Amino acid sequence: MIELTGVKKAFGKQEVLKDVSIKVNDGEVVVILGPSGSGKTTLLRSINFLEKADSGIMKFGDKEINFKKAGKKDILYMRRHTGFVFQNYGLFAHKTVLQNVMEGLVQVQKKSKAEAQKIAEDVLEKVGMLEKKDSYPSQLSGGQQQRVGIARAVALSPELILFDEPTSALDPELVGETLEVIKKVAQTGITMIVVTHEMSFAEDVADRVIFMDGGVVVEEGKPGEIFYKPKEERTRQFLSRIIPQDAYVI
Amino acid sequence: MGNYFSSERFVNIFPKVISCLSVNLHIVFWSMFFGTVLAIFVAVLRIRKVPVISGFLGVYISFMRGTPLLVQMMIAFYGIPLVLGNLFLNVFGINLNRLDPVIFVEIAIILNEGAFLGEIFRGAITSVPAVQAEAGYSIGMTGAQTFYRIVLPQAFKVALPHYGVDFIGVFQNTSLVFLLGVVDVLGKAKTLGAATGHSIEGYLSAALIYVAFSLFLKAVFLLAEYKMNNGTAKVI
Amino acid sequence: MSFSMQNFYDSFKSALLYAPVTIKLTAITFIVSLIFGAVIATIRNYRIPVLSQFFAFFVTVYLGLPTMVALLIYNLLFMTLYADVANAFHISVPISDVNPIIIGYFTLIIGTTCSISESIRGAFRGIEKVQYEAGYSIGMGRFKTLTRIIFPQMIPILLPGMQNSLIGLLKASNLVSAISVVEIMTGALLPSLLYYSYLEGYVAAALVYWIIGAAIEILAHFAEKRCGKYLKIATES
Repeated sequence: MIELTGVKKAFGKQEVLKDVSIKVNDGEVVVILGPSGSGKTTLLRSINFLEKADSGIMKFGDKEINFKKAGKKDILYMRRHTGFVFQNYGLFAHKTVLQNVMEGLVQVQKKSKAEAQKIAEDVLEKVGMLEKKDSYPSQLSGGQQQRVGIARAVALSPELILFDEPTSALDPELVGETLEVIKKVAQTGITMIVVTHEMSFAEDVADRVIFMDGGVVVEEGKPGEIFYKPKEERTRQFLSRIIPQDAYVI
Repeated sequence: MGNYFSSERFVNIFPKVISCLSVNLHIVFWSMFFGTVLAIFVAVLRIRKVPVISGFLGVYISFMRGTPLLVQMMIAFYGIPLVLGNLFLNVFGINLNRLDPVIFVEIAIILNEGAFLGEIFRGAITSVPAVQAEAGYSIGMTGAQTFYRIVLPQAFKVALPHYGVDFIGVFQNTSLVFLLGVVDVLGKAKTLGAATGHSIEGYLSAALIYVAFSLFLKAVFLLAEYKMNNGTAKVI
Repeated sequence: MSFSMQNFYDSFKSALLYAPVTIKLTAITFIVSLIFGAVIATIRNYRIPVLSQFFAFFVTVYLGLPTMVALLIYNLLFMTLYADVANAFHISVPISDVNPIIIGYFTLIIGTTCSISESIRGAFRGIEKVQYEAGYSIGMGRFKTLTRIIFPQMIPILLPGMQNSLIGLLKASNLVSAISVVEIMTGALLPSLLYYSYLEGYVAAALVYWIIGAAIEILAHFAEKRCGKYLKIATES
C-alpha cells in the first residue's frame, strides 16, 4: 500500500526525521505513538506533502516518489489519493458543513453538484452530522467539527486516510464520540495511519503500533506486544508515563 | 458683518453645492477602482517577498503613509508634467500642463490607496490561519484553487470593515481637491462665498453633504458585512 | 520647468525651520486629545446616562465631517465673531494679531478626540469582564480597578492604533496651511515663491514629513518592544 524508506527532514539545524522507514499494508490500521517532538506528526504531514521531506523514497501503490525530486504532479497525486484529518479540525471557516464536504467533490473530483451533495449527505449521515449540514464550523462543538473533518476526508473515497492527533484538541467528554466515528471508518476496511495518544483506542482498533522517538522508529508490533511486552527501554519509559494518565481519564 | 447665517440663502445655495457632489463621487469611484487593483498587486508582491521589488515597495509604502495627501497631490500636479511632459507631448500629442487637475488628484489618491489598501489586504491574507490552506491542499486542491476558493474569501471578510473605513476616508479626502482648483462640493461653496460675500451657508451645505454621505456609506458597508457574516457585524 | 537642486536645498532648510511648528501642533493636539478621548470612551464604556448617548451621537456625526470642512467653518466663525466676543470680554488684541494656529488647534483637537475615543472604546472591548470582577473581588473600587487594572492592560492593545493616529495627525496638521498658518509645507514654499519653483518646495516638505513620520515609527517600535513582553504574557492566557 504505502512504504516510506529513509525519510529525512530538518527544520533549520534541528533534525526532526532521521532516516525513518515504515510500511503499511492494504487495509491495515497503524497507530503511531511517541512523545511530542518525536517526529510523528512531521512524518504524517510529509506523506501528504504538507511538509516537504528533504530526502527519502515513498512507494504508494504503483507510484514511486523521490522526496528530493517530488514535483507538482506527484504532490497533487498523493493529496488526491489520501485524506487528512487535522488536529485542529481545519474546517473551511467560510463554508457550511455540507459545503465543506462538497468542496473537494465538486472542485477537485469535478462531480456535479447534485451528485456531490448526495455523497456528502450520505457521509454526514454516517458520522451523525446530517442535521447540522447548514451550520457553520464556528457554531459547532470541537467534537462535531472533527466529525465533519472526518466526513470531508472520507467523502473523497481516498485509498489512505491520515489522522493527525484527531482528538488531542477536544474536551475529554467529546473524545469518545469522535473515536467511535474513527473506529467506524476503520471497520470499512480502509487503510489508516493514526497519530494519537489514546491507548485504549490503539489497543482496540490498531493492527499494528509504531513507536517513534527522537526522529527514529524505536520499535513496532501488535498493540498487545508493544503495550505489555515492550522490548525497548525508551518505549517502556514512555508507556509508564502515558498509561496511568490514560487510565485516569477513562 | 454680513456673514451670519441666513436660512433663505442656505435654501438657495444648497442645491448648487450638492450638484457638485458628482465631482467628488467621480474621484472616489475611479481612485478606489484603480487603487484596489494596484493594492492587490502590492499585497501579493509583498507576501511573496520578491527580493528587489519588496524593498522598493517598502519605501513606497513608507512614503505614502508618512507624507500628507495634499503634498502628494501637489507633487503629482507639478511633478508628473515635469517628468513625463515631453514624452506625452511628443508621442501622444497631449499637453500635460493643460490636463484637468482632477487627473492628478486621482493619480495621487490611487498611489496612496495602493499603499494603504495594500497593507490592509496583506494583513487580511496573512490573518487566514495556515491550517485553512493546508486543508485545501489535503483534499487535493491546487495552489491557485486553494488561494481563490479558501484563502481569498476568508481574507475578504477580514478586510471588508477596514476597506469600508478606508473608502469613507477617501471620500472625506476629496475635501482637499479644491486647493488644486477642482470645483467639487467644497470648491463650489468657496466660489459661491467669494461671489456673494456670504460663505457660511455654502460651508454648512458642504458639511451637511459630507456628514450625510459618510454616514450613508458607513451604513452600506455595515449592511454588506452583516450579510457576509450571516447576521453579525463589528463596528470598527 | 526643471528641478533645481539649489531651490530644493533652500526649501528643505526653510521647511526644517518651520518643523517645530508642526511638531508642537501635533504633539500638543495628540496629548490633549488622548486625555479627552479617554474620558469620552470611559463615559461610553460605563454607559453613563445622557452623556454617553450625547457622545455616541456627537462622535458618530462628527467623524463624518472632513477636517478641512471643519477647519474652514471654524475659521470663518472666528473671523466673523471675533470682534463681538473681544468687545464683550474687553480684549483689545486686534484680530490681525491673533495667530490663526489656535483655530488649527481647536479643529484638530475635536477631530482627533473623536477618533481616539473610538480606538480607546475598541480597547475597552478587548478587556474581558473577569478583569473588572477580579479588581472588585480584591476590594478595589471602580476608579481603582479602571486605573490600576484596566488601563494598563489596554496600553499594549492601543499602541499600534495610537501610532497610526499620531502619524495621521502629523499629516492632518498640514491642512492648517489652508488658513495661512506657516508650517512645514508653507514654510517649504517660501523660497519657491521667489522662483516659482513649487515642485522643489513640495518635495522638500514631503521629505521633512517623511523624516518625522519615520522618527515616530522608530519611537513606537521601541515602545511596542517594551510593552511586547507584557503583551505576550497577556495574550497567552
